[in-house]
Amino acid sequence: MILDLHLHSERSDDSRAPVEQYLKILQRKRDERPLDGIVLTEHRQFDLHRDFRDLEDRYGLLILNAAEVETNYGHILVYGVNEAMLARFDFGDVRLPAQEVVSEVARLGGIALPCHPGRPNVGLLAHYETKPPLDGVVAVEAKNGGSKRGEDERVQDLIERFGYRAFGGSDAHLVSFVGICATEFDAEIRCMDDLVRELRGGSYRPADFRR
Amino acid sequence: MARIDPALLERVFDTTEFGPITASEMVSFARSLGEQAACYVEPGPDLRAHPTFCVKFRGRKGFPEDFPAALLGPMSFDAGKDVALGEPIRPGDTVRVASSVHDVYEKTGRSGGMTFVVVRFTMTNQRGEHVATIDNRLMYRT
Repeated sequence: MILDLHLHSERSDDSRAPVEQYLKILQRKRDERPLDGIVLTEHRQFDLHRDFRDLEDRYGLLILNAAEVETNYGHILVYGVNEAMLARFDFGDVRLPAQEVVSEVARLGGIALPCHPGRPNVGLLAHYETKPPLDGVVAVEAKNGGSKRGEDERVQDLIERFGYRAFGGSDAHLVSFVGICATEFDAEIRCMDDLVRELRGGSYRPADFRR
Repeated sequence: MARIDPALLERVFDTTEFGPITASEMVSFARSLGEQAACYVEPGPDLRAHPTFCVKFRGRKGFPEDFPAALLGPMSFDAGKDVALGEPIRPGDTVRVASSVHDVYEKTGRSGGMTFVVVRFTMTNQRGEHVATIDNRLMYRT
């Protein structure tokens, strides 16, 4: 099962992509990007009531909802967001304490994974040069569709040094970029609980569909 | 980030009126874009302003007088506009622009921290009909 674990729709301030347009692109480019679904990760926000069931039925793709938050160790994707997490953290705060985010999200039933770790300023690697490593990080985004040359390559060293697992996401802000990077899971994923379980302990790897 | 008083948001801090708008202004604007559709370039009963004509209008003041200066860093740039259109502008219309601060938020990126200030222009005509809402996004380095 292949999911794009990182993309933004028009709900993010820097994207103008409607969710349905992403689905249309995936339908049209199925041979090039054989995805089974997407996970929306809007910047600094999460809407508990967002409902994609109608779109899922019409397009036959899984659509899940997560968030990308900003911390003192760079940007982190949060999967399995619930009311307790929203009460614990102000998702709009761009200086969230990363260690607390990783630990507390896990305790509250989700998983927090650093994205684009090779990116200057907002990637984990830059912060590891001056600060101690975080405890409890399970995986990092080893393939990011928005990375500049060299940014993903730097991540391999991080993975080897700390034993992190690797996943991928397009980080699409424009419809044409959906699914260019993704994550391939061995298990079937039908809901957010499945995704959190698999990201914690399942078998998965990044997939790169860029040509 | 300096705290912003929530009372500053959505409060109209400037109102500026433009017009009456002439047919020749509308036609000249549309032609400068290379527009050829008759409804934008042929004077007559069907003439209306090109949809982007509304971006000509802006309030006299950039920010409220009591806006915290600490939020406005030394360097800024135009980070884009969102335009929602309403009734078309027709010859003889006046356009009233009401300015308010719609949002202030921070984010971080490759090049560092940024504060975004969104100034909203709400435009109405002489009949009180909604003409356009333009959200002007300004980015300041922090």
